[in-house]
Amino acid sequence: MMARSTSPSPETTPPSVRFVQLGEVAFRVNTRVLSMIGVALVVLVALGAWALTLGSFRLSLQAVIDALTGAHAGDARFIVRDLRLPRVLTASFVGAALAMSGAIFQGLVRNPLVSPDIIGVNAGASFAAVFWIVTGQPSPLLPLIAFAGAVTTTAAIYLLSWRGNIAGPRLILVGIGVNAILTALTTGLVVRANIYEASRALHWTTGSVYAATWGDVRVMVVVLAVLAPVGVGLMWALRVIQVGDTTARSVGLPLERTRLALILVGCALSAGAVAVAGPIGFVALMVPHIARMIAGPMSGGVFIVTGVLGALLVLGADMVGQHALPVSVPVGVVTGAVGAPYFLFLLYRANTRV
Amino acid sequence: MTRLHADEITLSYGGPQAVIRDLTLKVPDGAVTAIIGPNGCGKSTLLRALGRLMAPQRGAVLLDGHTIHRQSTKEVARQLGLLPQQPTAPDAITVEELVRRGRYPHQSILQPLSREDRAAVERALEITGMTDLRRHPVDELSGGQRQRAWIAMALAQETPLLLLDEPTTYLDIAHQQEILSLLRRLNRTEGRTIVLVLHDVNAAAQVSDHVVAMRDGAIVAEGPPERVVTPEMMETVFGIACDIVYVPETDRLVSVPRSSAALTAEPLPTPPIGRLRCDRLCCGYGQRCIVDQARLTIPAGRVTAIVGPNASGKSTLLRTFARLLKPMSGTALLDDRSVVTWSHRKFAQRVALLSQDAAVPDGVTVEDLVAVGRYPYQRWYRQWSHDDQQAVDEALAATGVEHLRWKPVDAISGGQRQRVWLAMALAQQTKVLLLDEPTTFLDIAHQVEMLDLVWNLNRREGRTIVMVMHDLSQACRYADHIVVMKDGQIVTTGTPAAVLTPALVRDVFGVESSVVDDPMTGRPLIIPEQAVTADAAVAERGGPPAAAAQRSMEWTEQSA
Amino acid sequence: MSKVTSTAPAQSTMAHRGTLPAAKLGATLLLCVAALAVVAVLSLRVGSIGISNADAFDALFHYNPASYEQTVVRTLRLPRTIIGLGVGAALAMAGAAMQATTRNPLAGPDLLGVNSGAAFGIVTAVYYGHLTHPLQFVWFAFAGGLAAAAATYAFGSAGPGGATPVKLALAGVVVSSLLSSWLTALLLLDQQTLEVVRFWLAGSLAGRDVTTFTSVLPFLLVGLIGMLAMANQLDILSMGEDTARSLGMHTGRVRAVVTALVVLLAGAAVAAAGPIGFLGLAVPHIVRLFTGPDYRWTLAYCLVVGPLLLLSADILGRVVARPGEVQVGIVTAVLGAPVLIALARQRRVAEL
Repeated sequence: MMARSTSPSPETTPPSVRFVQLGEVAFRVNTRVLSMIGVALVVLVALGAWALTLGSFRLSLQAVIDALTGAHAGDARFIVRDLRLPRVLTASFVGAALAMSGAIFQGLVRNPLVSPDIIGVNAGASFAAVFWIVTGQPSPLLPLIAFAGAVTTTAAIYLLSWRGNIAGPRLILVGIGVNAILTALTTGLVVRANIYEASRALHWTTGSVYAATWGDVRVMVVVLAVLAPVGVGLMWALRVIQVGDTTARSVGLPLERTRLALILVGCALSAGAVAVAGPIGFVALMVPHIARMIAGPMSGGVFIVTGVLGALLVLGADMVGQHALPVSVPVGVVTGAVGAPYFLFLLYRANTRV
Repeated sequence: MTRLHADEITLSYGGPQAVIRDLTLKVPDGAVTAIIGPNGCGKSTLLRALGRLMAPQRGAVLLDGHTIHRQSTKEVARQLGLLPQQPTAPDAITVEELVRRGRYPHQSILQPLSREDRAAVERALEITGMTDLRRHPVDELSGGQRQRAWIAMALAQETPLLLLDEPTTYLDIAHQQEILSLLRRLNRTEGRTIVLVLHDVNAAAQVSDHVVAMRDGAIVAEGPPERVVTPEMMETVFGIACDIVYVPETDRLVSVPRSSAALTAEPLPTPPIGRLRCDRLCCGYGQRCIVDQARLTIPAGRVTAIVGPNASGKSTLLRTFARLLKPMSGTALLDDRSVVTWSHRKFAQRVALLSQDAAVPDGVTVEDLVAVGRYPYQRWYRQWSHDDQQAVDEALAATGVEHLRWKPVDAISGGQRQRVWLAMALAQQTKVLLLDEPTTFLDIAHQVEMLDLVWNLNRREGRTIVMVMHDLSQACRYADHIVVMKDGQIVTTGTPAAVLTPALVRDVFGVESSVVDDPMTGRPLIIPEQAVTADAAVAERGGPPAAAAQRSMEWTEQSA
Repeated sequence: MSKVTSTAPAQSTMAHRGTLPAAKLGATLLLCVAALAVVAVLSLRVGSIGISNADAFDALFHYNPASYEQTVVRTLRLPRTIIGLGVGAALAMAGAAMQATTRNPLAGPDLLGVNSGAAFGIVTAVYYGHLTHPLQFVWFAFAGGLAAAAATYAFGSAGPGGATPVKLALAGVVVSSLLSSWLTALLLLDQQTLEVVRFWLAGSLAGRDVTTFTSVLPFLLVGLIGMLAMANQLDILSMGEDTARSLGMHTGRVRAVVTALVVLLAGAAVAAAGPIGFLGLAVPHIVRLFTGPDYRWTLAYCLVVGPLLLLSADILGRVVARPGEVQVGIVTAVLGAPVLIALARQRRVAEL
């Protein structure tokens, strides 16, 4: 079988779209988006390499490369391989998962102002985790508990929004309600806890990749390896949902089934990231907007761009929180402080239709 | 004499482009003035400026010689009332409570309802015939009654000047006539000055003494209806050729737009597939059954129009055929197989729907949107093929939007957008095309353009077309087969000439009408009549009936 | 001539909606006042220590400082009951007014970010100004709440289409998140601050000094009286911008006055009791089931039903976790958010 790349006559295809066919497999590729993915990945690798050199124990780039390739033994190797690399990888993967989750939820409810942290998915994870912390349970299980919390909450939101179908606005409002209940309960737990646990709970709910381990990296690799390709595939259906429920159904899309699949994937991406790093705010909300602005309306390709940009943002924010400020601040505080004003700016700008 | 006067006003919504530029209008006192024009010509904007809801960038709106925006708001509200398009009432408010709120400009803070207030409310209820319905929640009334309740509120305001923005949109012909005759009566018996923005040129000619025709933010013509609603003026204002038809029963002249399609062409031979049928079908929303025991066969390869008053179940029936609603009982069949047993994909390859509630995603190009119609032919591993490209190209060509291919859908005009949606349905390459009120938001020229397109699809390709339609005359012109519905029942079916008689229109819509021949097809044209007696209207309008007939003859000659 | 038949709409739905006649409304209101009196007495009696009717009565009218029970009533139960009365009325009326001006059934003082603004104001003051006593919090809470509400409204109503419900709700959520992100940073940096403010952060009527309340009382009274006087204007405003303006209302001015009153009420409430969620959202909806769209009755009912529900929630919080108690803000959020969810399920939200 031969890969055949045709470039049809100029009036049928804009310059950047290519039609690629490989036997039965055939699709259109936007080369502009493809090149953006490439550029973003290169920047991400560069930023990651830079992050590996930073810290109280400064290393040269050469030393980092040596440590990675195993040419060196000793301190540098330990610091890079076991301390910094897991943190850098975790930050990137968590960012990618959160951003992709945001893109899925925004497309699903056709509202560019929605993300798993607004409709209660993350509040569910937080509640479960804080409950776990304040009741003094073993911390190794914490990620699992947070994951379970997020999934349970999503299931609850889904069921509460179900009235023969899932309408976008209803999902948002139910989500805001669920979010409020869980946030209140979390506050209640914090108030009742002793001050040490309260502080720990607060730290967890802010979101951080501090003390990330290879175990975390492995979890995120599995989450992304399974869900990201499914997400790319689902973008094809999401594009149809964007045009409205009635139209989607009349072109033969099994609407509720597709929605359920999207919610499952979006929730699992977010829950995985939150389980590992805690609820890092605004990544899911903000990054899909940036991706759309530079790469065009959401598609499989733009979805990948979203993921890479999410990785860039969280990695960058973690570097800022860790190295640029006088005191070390968890990454969630940095993304919130940067993200919220940006979001308000989006809201303010005339072209955000809600 | 004129109390309300727009003096060289320029209006814009903040953008660099002015909606209206240096416009001057003197509203004649004691008359009914209708403002007409194509979509986006600025007619509603003008009305809002006259009603003080918008301040002009330049120029001024004067009331009794004083700039309206410098006067006290309550003072102005005692002279001038404005009823916005599609006003929304608070939940569960009763008619009486709504009407009472019209007294606001006459009250001061903390003052209870005075005797004058009560009297004004009673009078407004009585004039609009809402006295019996006073304790009903407004949101449970029918469309026509709701509109009357709002007019009653505006009446309780007791202003000599009354402005209304499209008071008849979304109403069926009977309710349209009801509202128009009420306004006419208010003008004749109470001497109120009335200004209306209207969509329908014939309604404007019917109800008004003075017509203002606008295009691109400027007044193109104004004067008495018989002077403005002429073939030449229609061509200038709407960009479409019209015939003027004389209605002898009421001595009215009605303009009928010309179609560029070959409307007399015979249909192609009946195709083997694309048949829709239902038997003892009940369907509706939730638990509520709207269409009851419907039995209907829609002929394959023909154009069928479903007509009926508001809430008669037309769209519900169409949506059930499109599989969007599940039948509660009975069956809906596509080619002898129940629609619900078809697979999603196979069904979408055979039936396409153009609905009213499509969303426009941000930044998506026309081609991408039309490509969505190819979904039933695609797989996740085969997301695009040469067939897809060809189908999209053909659909864009058939609807004449090829030049818009790379434009974002949110950046094109309403008329173009409707054609893009049609292109998407065409890209689906189905034998059956269902259209739910495809012309609702379009002005007359775009309506004709859209319907001509649909007609050609049928006559050239033999597709089965089913349209829910609002306008009876258009339904007659374009349909081979008419289905008349009322209260969820199918009243009758058949050819337009056989079905649409004044008697049927009276029974189904509850309004008198005249039927004249369509100059293009010879099929019937349904001209609804106003509720005031024809004699009175003629006497007021001045001039003997023969004079109007004479004018009509002249125009017919000129346009021939 | 055309015959127009005005068919009366179905009668069946009339029974459970729409306005009760004025006499019945008045009688129901009196019933609510009686219920409020009962709940207020219960609020004096119920808690970790049960108090008899006689002790409660004596504490009010023949106070004997030697009696332990009477001291409890006088120093603990009475202040929280009084604060509950004021705060409940303020939040309910603020919610009703917000819903009228925005024509948004989801509006409420907490969705405007007043609560997190107040929290932010306090945390900032504690962190930088080293305040320790809740009495000093009042003015910072007030200012923070005011600023946050203004920001939310400005961002939510900007852009085309003005303040659509979803936009406003999201702006509120985001402003709250932004503030809590900053707040979290401060709290993480300083455990001392966390210790001082975390009890305040869960809204509560307990442990509030009555002087806290009296210092915001003038604002509260201005807010309540002013809002009652605005009832007629709210009626007209709830008809929509265009209609209100063509009826001769200066909508910009009225909106500004109403919003100022809302911020007074909500700011005073949060300063006195801390953030108490969802009361402002839920009470007007419950009240409107009886009163219909008439804001004179709606506000009057809010004045009574708001404190009724707040005190009930407070008592519930005392009972469920005896001998400890659950902060009333948590009780109201847990009980009130389901009201929001029910509304979302019931309404045709696409129209919102």
